[in-house]
Parts: sequence; C-alpha cells; structure tokens
Amino acid sequence: MLWACILLPQLALDSVLRGRDDPQAPLVLLSGPAQRRVLQAVNPAARALGLRAGQSLSTAQALASSFTCVEHDPAAVEQLQQLLAAWAYQFSSQVSLHYPRTVLLEVESSLGLFGPWPLFEARLRKELGELGLRHRIVLASNPVAARMLANAHDGLALNDAQATRAALAQMPVDRIGLPVEAATALSRMGLRDLGQVLGLPRDTLARRFAASVQVHLDRLLGLRPMALACYRPPDRFEARLELNFDVESHQALLFPLRRLIADLAAFLASRDGGVQRFTLHLEHARGVATPVVVGLLAAEREAGMLFELARGRLEQLSLPAPVRSVRLVADDLPAFVPQPGELFNARPQQQQGWEQLRERLRARLGDESVRAVQAFADHRPECAWQAAGGAPPLARAPGGPPRPGWLLAEPQALAPEGLRLLAGPERIESGWWDGGDVRRDYYLVETPAGQRGWAYRPLGEGGPLWLQGWFA
Amino acid sequence: MSVGYAELHCLSNFTFQRGASSARELFERAHQQGYQALAITDECTLAGIVRAWQAARETGLKLIVGSEVRVHDGPRLVLLVENLSGYQHLCRLITLARRRAKKGEYQLLREDFAGPLHGLLALWVPDEPLQAGPGLWLREVFGERLWLAVQLHRGADDQQRLQQLQGLAASLNLRAVACGDVHMHARGRRALQDCMSALRHHSTVAGAGQHLFANGERHLRPLAQLAELYPAHLLEATLEIARRCTFDLGQLRYQYPREVVPEGYTPTGWLRTLCERQVPWRWPGGIEPAVRQTLEHELALIAELGYESYFLTVYDIVHFARGQGILCQGRGSAANSVVCFVLGITELDPTRTHLLFERFLSRERDEPPDIDVDFEHERREEVLQYVFNRYGRHRAALTAVASTYHAAGAVRDIARVLGLPPDQINALADCCGRWTDRIPPPERLREAGFDPDSPLLHRVLTLTGELIGFPRHLSQHPGGFVISEQPLDTLVPVENAAMDERTVIQWDKDDLDMVGLLKVDILALGMLSALRRCFDLVRYHRGRELTIATLPPDDVPTYDMIGRADTVGVFQIESRAQMAMLPRLKPREFYDLVIEVAIVRPGPIQGDMVHPYLRRRNKQEQVTYPSDALKKVFERTLGVPLFQEQVMELAMVAADYTAGEADQLRRSMAAWKRHGGLEPHRERLTRGMLNNGYSVEFAERIFEQIKGFGSYGFPESHAASFALLTYASCWLKCHEPAIFACALINSWPMGFYSPDQILQDARRHRIQIRPVDVQHSQWDCSLEPVGGDELALRLGLRQVRGFRQDDALRLAQARAQRAFGDVADLCLRAGLDARARALLADAGALGALAGHRYQARWEVAAVQAQLPLFAGVEPPREAPVNLPVPSVGEDLFADYASVGTTLGPHPLSLLRRRLNGLGCRSSQALEGAEHGDAVSVAGLVTGRQRPGTASGVTFVTLEDEFGMVNVVVWRELAERQRRVLVGSQLLRVMGTLECADGVRHLIAKRLEDLSPLLHGLDVRSRDFR
Repeated sequence: MLWACILLPQLALDSVLRGRDDPQAPLVLLSGPAQRRVLQAVNPAARALGLRAGQSLSTAQALASSFTCVEHDPAAVEQLQQLLAAWAYQFSSQVSLHYPRTVLLEVESSLGLFGPWPLFEARLRKELGELGLRHRIVLASNPVAARMLANAHDGLALNDAQATRAALAQMPVDRIGLPVEAATALSRMGLRDLGQVLGLPRDTLARRFAASVQVHLDRLLGLRPMALACYRPPDRFEARLELNFDVESHQALLFPLRRLIADLAAFLASRDGGVQRFTLHLEHARGVATPVVVGLLAAEREAGMLFELARGRLEQLSLPAPVRSVRLVADDLPAFVPQPGELFNARPQQQQGWEQLRERLRARLGDESVRAVQAFADHRPECAWQAAGGAPPLARAPGGPPRPGWLLAEPQALAPEGLRLLAGPERIESGWWDGGDVRRDYYLVETPAGQRGWAYRPLGEGGPLWLQGWFA
Repeated sequence: MSVGYAELHCLSNFTFQRGASSARELFERAHQQGYQALAITDECTLAGIVRAWQAARETGLKLIVGSEVRVHDGPRLVLLVENLSGYQHLCRLITLARRRAKKGEYQLLREDFAGPLHGLLALWVPDEPLQAGPGLWLREVFGERLWLAVQLHRGADDQQRLQQLQGLAASLNLRAVACGDVHMHARGRRALQDCMSALRHHSTVAGAGQHLFANGERHLRPLAQLAELYPAHLLEATLEIARRCTFDLGQLRYQYPREVVPEGYTPTGWLRTLCERQVPWRWPGGIEPAVRQTLEHELALIAELGYESYFLTVYDIVHFARGQGILCQGRGSAANSVVCFVLGITELDPTRTHLLFERFLSRERDEPPDIDVDFEHERREEVLQYVFNRYGRHRAALTAVASTYHAAGAVRDIARVLGLPPDQINALADCCGRWTDRIPPPERLREAGFDPDSPLLHRVLTLTGELIGFPRHLSQHPGGFVISEQPLDTLVPVENAAMDERTVIQWDKDDLDMVGLLKVDILALGMLSALRRCFDLVRYHRGRELTIATLPPDDVPTYDMIGRADTVGVFQIESRAQMAMLPRLKPREFYDLVIEVAIVRPGPIQGDMVHPYLRRRNKQEQVTYPSDALKKVFERTLGVPLFQEQVMELAMVAADYTAGEADQLRRSMAAWKRHGGLEPHRERLTRGMLNNGYSVEFAERIFEQIKGFGSYGFPESHAASFALLTYASCWLKCHEPAIFACALINSWPMGFYSPDQILQDARRHRIQIRPVDVQHSQWDCSLEPVGGDELALRLGLRQVRGFRQDDALRLAQARAQRAFGDVADLCLRAGLDARARALLADAGALGALAGHRYQARWEVAAVQAQLPLFAGVEPPREAPVNLPVPSVGEDLFADYASVGTTLGPHPLSLLRRRLNGLGCRSSQALEGAEHGDAVSVAGLVTGRQRPGTASGVTFVTLEDEFGMVNVVVWRELAERQRRVLVGSQLLRVMGTLECADGVRHLIAKRLEDLSPLLHGLDVRSRDFR
C-alpha cells in the first residue's frame, strides 16, 4: 500500500485567513488564559513585523502595534478538518484523521482512477490551494512514515519500503514522533538522526528504552502494522419520492409526505436520534424547487407529530407550480431526549402536551409570532423583560416587589385628573454602564376607571407622571 | 427643624468590594451634613478603624467603633462599642469568626455570643420576610442593649415597610432606631459601588442584575431628607445610642511582654545588668570613657522614655538567633546606639560613625523606637517560629499590610466589570505601567489603540481614578511582629494569613504607630546567609574566627578594590549604577560607604544631589554652608542634604520646627506623591527660613530637594547598617575571593548576579573552578586546596538544574563509605532514579566514571535495579558501541543548559575570529580605546534595564570572554531598533566610547542582532539559556 500524508502546518491560521478579504495584512491567532495571552500562530506579514508564535501578547504589542488579533477557535479548526476528510474521501476509501492537522489517505488503490501519482498529487495541491490551505504532501510506503517525513519534506514520493527507510534514516530523532523523553535521551547520547539509532544493536536499545519506543520505530519502518481509525462520512437523511402525476393541491401531497416522514422516523429510531430541522423540497417540472423548512424547538422523532408539523407548514404555502417530486433532507440530527413517561399520568390522553401545542402554534402562526419571554435581572423595568429567540425555558421572574405584567412599548404621559397614588415613591437609579442611566421615582397609581398602573417621574423634574405598565 | 442624627451603620472601603468611600470622605461628608456622630461598622473587621479614628480627630466628629456581622445561618447585626470592655469583646468575636475561616472570610456562630458581651450594643437588621425568631434570640443575648434597625431606602413601599418594622419591634418589645446602611459618602459613588458589587459576585455590572442596589440611597443623606422618611423618635434614638458609646481608641493601653525581665529585676535594672555583663565581650581591653559616657546617657534616656522593655524584647530575639548561629544585623532609628551594639543587636560599632543616638530616639517625639533586624534569609523562619513559641499565638502575631489598588489593578477590575474583553483589559493595564497611581494619559492610550474620548473608556478611566488608592486586601507584612503582654485579641482582631501557621493582626504599621503598639521587624537578608557561610568556610579552611564586628577596619586593599568598582557580588554597591559611581566617589573610609549606599537611590538622584556632592568631593566646587548652624547639619555630607535625618534637622535648625513637627514632615515626605499634603510645609518652611535670615531662593531649592526625596529618601541609620555589611562583604571578596564566591553561590538566589556571572568574575580573579563531579562534589559548592594558600572552587550538585538535594545527600553518604567503582555502582548505591542519573550524565558529572556526557548518558540508561534473586550475578556484557564525541560547541550548550555556566571556553571566544572579521572589538581591546573613539563591540546580553529615574534610557550590559561592556541606548534609538534591542541574545553595538572619572560607557548609535551566529554553534539546540 502507499500512503499520502497531507500535512496542514497552518491549519488554524488558514481557517481564519481563508475567510478574510485581506489575508496579506498582519494577523495573529491568540490563545491562552486572560492573564497570559500567547500568540498561537502568525501569518507571514505578522512574521515580518517580528512577531512569532509562542510570544506573549504584551511582547508582541511592544514590538508592533498594527496587527489584527483573532481568537483561536479549536471548534472551527475541527470542523475544517472534518470538511477536509470529506473532501479526501472522494479520492480514497481509507482516510484517517489520526494525527492532528493531518489527512492521511491510502492512494495505491486510487492510482488507477486519479494517477499516476504526479498527476494525482498535482490535483490534490490544486484543490487544497483553492481551499486556501497551505500544505505539505509526502508519499511513503506506510502512513506513519508518510506523516513523520512530512515534518521535514514536501513533495517527497517514495514508492517502496526501501526508499522510505532510506529517507527515514536521514530524519532527526526529535522529528519522528518519538516520546519527548526518548527523543531527548537519544540526542543527549549524541544520536542525531534515525540512521544512527538504527545502526545500534537492537538489544542495546531494548535495554535502555521503553517497549513503546521499539514499537514506534517498527511502525515507522513498516515492520509492524498500525491500526488507523478511518474516517466515515457523517449521517444524514435524504429521501426522494417521485409522484405519479403533477400535484397541484396540498391535499394530494399529504400521502407522499406521510411516507417520507415515516421513513425519516424509522431512520431516526434506528440511530436513536431525533431531528431538529428538516426541509421538504417540492420539485417542479421547471425552475427551482420550492423549499419548505420545518424547524423544531427541540429534537423530536415521533412520526405523527413530525407529520402534523410538516402539514401545518405546507398548508400555509401557496404552490407556485405543480409538484412533480418531493425530496426530504434532514441534516440537523441531534440526540433525542425522550420525555420521561410517568406511570400515573394524570393528563388525559386526548389533551395535547404543551410542547405540541407550542409547535402547532409556531407552525400555524409563524416563527415570529410565538416568542418565549425571558426575565432579565436589571433594575430598569424596560430591560427586565426580553423576548428570547431560541428555546431557553421560561425563566421565572426573580422575587421582588410587584411589577406590572404588561409593559408599554413607550411610556405615556398620564393625565393628572382623578389619579390616585397608592404607593411610592420607589426610587430606581441604575443603568449608567450602557449609557441608559435612569433615575426615577415610581408610583403605584389608580386611574379614575379603576385601572392600576405603574408610573414614574424622572428624579428632580416636575411635570407629568409617565405610565410604564399596567397591572393585570 | 430636624432633631439631629448619628449614622450607626456605615461601611468604609475596608469592607472590601462593598464600601465605596474612604473613612476620610465619610467623615468629611457627615461633618458637612451636620451629623452628630458616625459609626464605622466594616463587616467583621476593624482593619480600617484607626484610619477612621484619624479622620474623626481631623474633622472633630465623633467616631463610634463597630462592626457589621452576619451570624452563620442567622441574623445580620450591627455591633457598636459602648466602652473599653465592649471593644475587647468585639475584638474577641471578630477574632473567633476570622480564625475559624480561611483568609478573607469569616464564620460567626451563635455559640460565640454565649460569653460576656457587656459594653457591646447590637442593632438587629432583620431579613425579608420579617420573622420574630432571630429577634427573640438576640433579645436573650443582648437584653436592653438591643435595637431593631429601621433602614428605609425608597424601596417599593417605604411607608408599609416602616409600619411592619415598627410592628415587629413592638411585638418583641424592642426599641427601633433609624439606620442608613451606608455604603458610600455621596450618591456620586453609585457607579463605583455597583462595580464593587459586580466584582464581589464575579460578574459584570450589566450581568449583576439584582445584586446591585436599585438606587443610590445608601449614602450619607441630608438631615432634611431623613426627617422626611423617618419619624422623629427613630432619629432621636440614634443620638441616644451615640451618647452611650463613649469608647475612644486612645483608651487602649499596650503593655510590653513581661517575660523579658527576670523575677526580681526592674526593666531598667535588667537592661543595665545585661549591658554591664556584655561590655567585656565588646571591649575586651576595657571601655573608653567617652563610650562609657554615651552608654550612660543612652540608658538614662531609655529609662526616661520607658523603652527598656522594647530593647529587651529585641535583645531576646537576637539572643536566640545568636545561640542558633544565625547571623543578624539590626538597623533603624534606634539600632545604631551603644546599647544596641553592646547587646549584639547591631554589629556596627557606633564609635565608627558620626551617629548620635539621641537623633534617633528623641525626647520630644514621643514615639516608640524602631528597630528592624535582618536575619539570614534561609533561617528567618526559625526566628519567626521562636517568637510564636515563646510568646504564644495569642500574644504574638504578624502585622498586616493593607495592599492598595494601583492604577493597573484598578483599571483591570473596572474594565472587567464593564465587560471589556481580556485582551483589551491587558492592554489597558499595560498602559498604566507598574506601581503608578495615576491613570494613563490620553496619548499613551491612543498609542495603544484606545479612544480616550469614547464614553466607555471615559467611564473606565473615571471609575479607575476613584478606585486607585482603595485598600484591596490585607496581606501579611514580611516580618513585622507585634508582641504584647495581654492577649492580642483584646487590642485588635487577629485573623489567618494566607500561609498556614501564620496569624496576622488587622492593623498595619501606620495604624500601630497611631495606637502606640510595639513592633519588631524580623526581616530576611540574603547577604547575611552568604556572610555566615563565608565565616564558616574561613573557620574551616583557615582556622580563623571572623565576625562582622571584628573584621579589620579601614583596610586599604579593600578600599582600593572598591575604588576600581571591582565589586561583583558584594552587598549594595554591586549594581551597575553603584559601580559607575564608585570610581568617581573613591570611598576611603567607612563613612564614604554610608554615603555611597545612600546616594545611588532614586531620592538623591531625583533631588539632583549627586552631582553637587561629587563636585564638592572632588574639590571642583567650594564647600559652602548657608549658615554656621546648618554647617553642623550638613558638614558630613559636604553641605548637600543626602539623608532623611538631615532634612528633619534642617527643618528644626533653620525653620524652627519642633522634633515632633519634623517627624510629621518626614511622614509627609514619604506620602506626598500619593496623598499630597506637602504644601503646608512649603509655607511653613519658607516662613521659618526667612525668619532665620535665609534667602527665598535657598528655601525654594531646599523644598524642591525635599520633594525629590519623596518616598525614596534614605535614612542615615539604615545606610550605616547596610554599609557595615557592604564593608564586610568587600573585605571578604578582597582577601578570600574563593571563599566569597563559594558562599555567594551556595546562598543563591540572592543579589544581583547569577552564579554564572559570579563564577566568571572569580575566574577573572584567577580562581580555579572545578566541574561538577560525582566523585568529589557535595550538594553545595565547596573548596579544595590547590597548594599554598590557594583554594579551588568545586561546583556542587546544586548547580545541576533539576537535581534534588535528597539525591545529592544520599550520593555523598554512599561515596563516604567508598568511592564509586562505575556508573552502575553509583546509581545503585546512591539510589538514583532514571531522572537523576540522566541529569548527572547531561551535566558531565560522570566524567570520571563514564567518559564524555554522551557516553555517560548511554551507560546510565542501561543500569537496571538488581533483583535480590540475581544478586551477585553479573549483568550481561554488552558489546561497546560507537557514540559520537561531543564537539566544543555541543559541550558549551550542554553546560549552559545543565549547570548554567561553562568551564570550557566562553561562547564568544569560539566566535571571536568571526567577530574580528566583522570588526568587533573585545571588552579587553576596548580598554585601549579612548574617549570619543568610534567602536564596535559584540557580546551576550546579560542585562537590560530601563530605570524610571533615567528618562527613557536603556542600560544594556554585554558580556564577552574578557568581561562586561556597559552600553547606553538613548530613547530615540531604542524606539527605532526596539526589536533588535529586545530580541537579541548576541548583540553588536556600534557607537562612541565615553570615559569620565574611570567610568566607561559605550553610547550606542546602531544595534545589530548577531544571535544567528550563536545558533550556528549548534543547530540542534535553540534553548540557549
């Protein structure tokens, strides 16, 4: 077998730079705790300013002032690595992410399709270049050797074990993936490259080093196989149903829809997961398909419920053209957390659960119309309520003095006639930190009509009371 | 017409992260508002009470001492001190609660209230929802001394709340009283107070939500507003309580520990007895009449002021140290006296100096004498433990240091609670620099990429300005001890320090002075460790008994050496600035050293006193005195004020200050940079001097010099003590250089130079240095006879980086039985693990057993512990392998990596030919160059300093195989070539040589980074040093 190693020495940096329109401007990646910020990586322009990876941020700032700092994001790097693996998967069925910043792929079996190697390699480089990733590529007779040779080489192509061994013999002992202690010990014995080490009697080495060192050397030379975890493409559900005739009504779509959703539910069950969002693509004879996105607040997998939701969405839609086929795509497949089934459930079966009701409302009225409300700890009334976008549970308002259930969007001046002050003043002075400092005296008021409201007057001002909310 | 009011519940900024105003601000405000008294009730602490007491005396408003506490799982209380016994009970309660918890926290239990509490009043601050339970318990504990605190802060419904609280009070048959729960002096501190709340809850202000107070009412409100809120009888109750509280901190009486005086003696009698007993020890040939007279005079003065016990206490500690062979040396205002010399508190024979005891212990200045004692830094802990054991933990404790916010820390905390990202917080803190108390100027902020006009930054800076100078936390003083006869917790609360086995009182040094408590500083000094080692080595190798006091004085070769600035490693005069001064000052006698020690300090430098002094000393300028009276004051420093004491004397002689006022001046000098307060002295000094016939110009100049002195002014008494150690270390370096170097390295870390630099200096003085060797080395460096009187210095195993002392001791023991036969014998008999073996091999310490370090590493790796079963069975023979031999460069790098120095060639000697090719001169060749020559030198950068006193100049020290070169880099060049300056290991400097008075500097014109040449010596190793 032949293995190609694609080493991406600047993966973290490239993952940032490829998204920027000014990759030539000095830029550094930062990591480390707040007290000791360290430059994780620097681009060539930053390097030209004297900045180096490993420097502390304060040193860097002492050296230069005009450079961009970006926080190192391991998650983004991981995602990019996954993407690369998927990209490599098209060239080989054996792709491994065993080493960080590295994609290993077995290429001997692919040479027939993409080869010969120089051609293959050129294609890999071209596509990597288009992805904006700096890289080194080495071909060797086993994956470990390919990876370690990439530490010192680029473009090296070794077609057999003998050539691989010869190249390895030239490698410095601290660049071949040995445990640090072993590499240090070897260099402190004056042994600089692997060739010198291999020239020593095997038993003398065995006496001096842990067994794992010998194992690693054997793997490096291909004398002992290495089990690599191979990449598998992610799970995803996609199914398509051709309709027998062009459908123009919602009603007629329900049957195929029920089938597709049943398949989806079965798939979800088989992988013991749920779905948070899926898309129905209604494909027409001509033109672009009409997408219908069905999003949920929490992962679900019950077919009946998924169907109800999809139907709700579908019914809002006016079909732009007859539908010829339906495709269901579900990418967002998080783990499913089932409701605990209570033994003595007091709720009558026919009653809908709160979650189902909420989803149905959302499906019928649209996402914008159903909002969670979140209490926010702030003394300023207008800041104490916030609409929550996602799906956090409704936080209970913290205890404290009574507050009106309904706040006005804008405070309104109150006519003083017939107004009764029931309690107050309650003084609120807060919010200086965001420029929205308020200083007000609040009163509980009752209008002549008997409505109770909450009104304030800015501190140190005369003038009318301003109504801010009504008590229910 | 308001009835008047006394605030009974008020926090100062000593309630960390809650109180947002200082005691001074609170008292000034309360005074303005017409309050009749103010209680300072910091949460379970009295750390701020002395400052409050000062503020109270300055404003003339009455202080009530108190503390707010939360009983564990119980109610919140305000405890107020009615009289002395109440104060003692409060101290006891706080001590109990603090000692139970870790540093900075407290835990007060209900059972703590079981003891007597008379003299302590309590205000109950009930929690929501109101419950009668805690009130019932408190009524049982405090009886008629309990009130219910009614605190109204314009909450949701104050009227209703007032009714509920009054109802609760009535139902429990308690009296109610109005309270403010004050957290700040004025409403304007609301933002800072919010920041503190956020800090306390580790959140941002925006995220702190309900942790913030809803409004800014918790300040000292005007009486009219209070009258609006509270019924009159609740306000009257505050006055009634205030009248009851008659305690004043001035009533505290400190007593010296009694055991320092044996049964049957008075302190006076015992001090005299001790002195008489010791006189023959100090003066075996009999005491001179003049010294005897001084001794009598001092004893009389001590008796008159009643300070015998103080001297006896210090004597007791020093006596212990001497018994243990721990070297010590006293300094400070009272230390340089005949009494202290006789008692062995100091080694400085007062007849050697011009110092007068009375200058330090003054009749008029009724203030306890101050003696600091330095001990060997490695053995000070023994002394501390002795004090704790002798007097007991309840009577001896360390003093506290109230650490205050400097600009950097303040801006960090404020920026954090305002939600700035970490990088910007760091950048802002960097703008502040270290130790300053000023917010950074706008241009500095702009340089760092901030917009000082943005509202956010404006908020950050304003709040930072308010926070600077606030106390942040209490930490322990490095060695200040308080010892008393009565249990300490009847004087001041005691709490735990961060270190185990340490207890700390809640007051710092200034607080103690105010209240009149005895303090002894037990400090650590590395040079004393080194000197003791020197004396031990001299005794061992020379059979001669030396002490600091008995070293031959006025030794000419020693002063010659000092005049050459050949002072690497000695005490105080070893820094670059000091070394630059020595050839100009050319000390010839002891008092010159006293001046040398004091003159190279920021105070005299900023006060521009150095050059006038030098000119006068070198007879380039006439020595004049403004008057005959001042001649006496300034004669010994040639008319230039150099010492704190002289400034005080000047004020007394020329401006009619009393001794007490002069002391006030000294304190103001120390503090003016932070707190101001020197202006009144300007008027006072000028007026006084004009009255005595001095000119306005003279008065102005003197005042400027005093300002320059600032907090750095050095007292003569300390300088004299230090100079004695300087002389001792110089004498040893001059006459026993090998012993001196050995002792310094064994005492490391200490001083200014690394062992490598000390060893290089020793080699330049032709001392033979021998490598680390398992067949010879001890843990410490040691000395081996060479023949004649010469000694060679053998490096100890302590120089091997990472090697453990235990391993070294086992190794030495095994070797003492018999020398090691081979590597296996060494490893097995000394019980060395793989790590220790590898370290020895890499250090080249196995040379005698295994050859070069590569071979040694190969061999130690093969050594395996023998199982008992195979005892006596020879391990299998291996065929020898061919390992490479380390090159000179490789050995050099390995030496530096392992032992931090090399005995082989200096790295620059390996590069010398290439450097010559580049036109670089060596430091040796530089000796031949003259003033104004354009030269180029290269060397390893061993020091980069940018002292605050030198306006942007960077001092670089270069080292080559012959010595050091001092380089001056002006600001403009430093900025232009910052990267080279900061980043080079091997630096080439092109510039002009400046020589004056035997001092040589290279003024840099251009810098070049030659570090790649070093890496060329060995491409593998990048970790050079």
